[in-house]
Amino acid sequence: MVFDLRRCIGCNACAVACKQENSLPHDVFFTKTLSEEVGEFPQVSRVYLPTLCNHCEDAPCEWVCPTGATYTRPDGIVMVNEQTCIGCGSCIVACPYDARTLIEPGHLEAGLFMDGELTPFERQGLGRFVAGTVAKCTFCHERVDAGLQPACVTTCPADARIFGDLDDAQSPARQLIQERDGRVPLPEKNTRPKVFYID
Amino acid sequence: MSALHPPVVGDEFRPGLRFQRNWGWSMATAFFFGEIGAGLFLASLYFGFVPGMWTGVLVTAVGKTTGHLLHLGQPLRAWRAITRVNSSWVSRGLLAIILYTGFGILYLLSLADLSFGLFPKALEPWAAGIAAAAAIVITLYQGFAMSHSAAIALWSSGLMPVIGFTYALLSGVALLAVLGYDAVIAGRPGNLSLVKTLEFVLLLFALVQMLSLIHSARYGSKGGQESAALLTRGNLAKWFFPLVFAVGYFVPMLMIPYAGSSASLQIIALAVMAGYYAFRVLVFRAGMYDPMQSFKSRKRRF
Repeated sequence: MVFDLRRCIGCNACAVACKQENSLPHDVFFTKTLSEEVGEFPQVSRVYLPTLCNHCEDAPCEWVCPTGATYTRPDGIVMVNEQTCIGCGSCIVACPYDARTLIEPGHLEAGLFMDGELTPFERQGLGRFVAGTVAKCTFCHERVDAGLQPACVTTCPADARIFGDLDDAQSPARQLIQERDGRVPLPEKNTRPKVFYID
Repeated sequence: MSALHPPVVGDEFRPGLRFQRNWGWSMATAFFFGEIGAGLFLASLYFGFVPGMWTGVLVTAVGKTTGHLLHLGQPLRAWRAITRVNSSWVSRGLLAIILYTGFGILYLLSLADLSFGLFPKALEPWAAGIAAAAAIVITLYQGFAMSHSAAIALWSSGLMPVIGFTYALLSGVALLAVLGYDAVIAGRPGNLSLVKTLEFVLLLFALVQMLSLIHSARYGSKGGQESAALLTRGNLAKWFFPLVFAVGYFVPMLMIPYAGSSASLQIIALAVMAGYYAFRVLVFRAGMYDPMQSFKSRKRRF
């Protein structure tokens, strides 16, 4: 995935789409757009930084996992098998991007509406999570498997998120990285992220 | 502190330093019991003090296991943690705990002639050797598991395993001096002198390592700087200096030269362990992620 920082307007529609697509419990976000003020008065501007799991090539979360619950699919998407995760949190403290969340029992018991009672929609959606295990962005793998783009990408009104096969020299994502000198977050951690930023 | 120093943020949608909140007191307790148990076993094995070995095995098996089970989100699946010995220090640690407990108990039963002939006496040294090797792994692996975490600058230090090892031996020797006072220390000035020398040298060594850890964090990345500042000047300093330094280092160091009675050795052991437990908890509390990226640190304007 590529984030075009020139295009991002910080609307966080991506975060909302992600929550809706993945039925995320409240307080759990797989993607966020961080915002920051830069400069000094009168030359001040606000800049935006979209974040999500970087699906690293050399993922520290994968090699510290004691059960093999974290694994990388052949297409490079890093996944968590909630049936084998023991919730030890090794991956959470190993991820430099703070991109993983432990699903607490409270996350699955409290709804956002009706005085905390779960709505039928929430009850159905939250069933995919297992309390006491770790969850993270999956690049909407069900959608990718069906030939679709991740929900955050389709929703982005500014086309700031570009998704594609980095191994395909013709893919727009790969071309943007090459043309506009894409860079990865925290390169000094040597995790080889598959998410790039261009500006 | 630089004007460009990033802010500490919580769940806000802002770039900045974030506390790690996943490993807390239960994990610190597990680490603490694992290391003091293994250290006590090693010290007792050296002095041939069997009740100390039993205590060491039980402290690790019960205390460490309980701490870990309280921490896990899915404790009933804990057995799965042994399946990735090739890459995960947690897996290696679990294997070491199993070997240490199994061979430790086997060795101790055999010493007490309670193995009912099922375990040949000739294999006793092997069982003791495997249990001791596994105990050493227990004292080290927790530090490796923490130093593997490149995300948290304070933890990501090669000193972490060495500190764990030093504290384990220190606590082990201090506890041995208490539990084995009548059998190992009383009436044996040579042993008392050896134990006191070991305690003093290990304390000094642990103090130097602690200062080096804080120093390397202080001059490391932003997260490390903030962690070091928290421990030395921030909210955690009021616990760090009195407990880790005053109680954990200086009280025992001042007492060791004059120690000889059972009571003085008990106070030293209590002080050492209080300091060590405080160190474990505070280092977890001070753990902080570096900011993922910040525009303020870049020269280019957007």
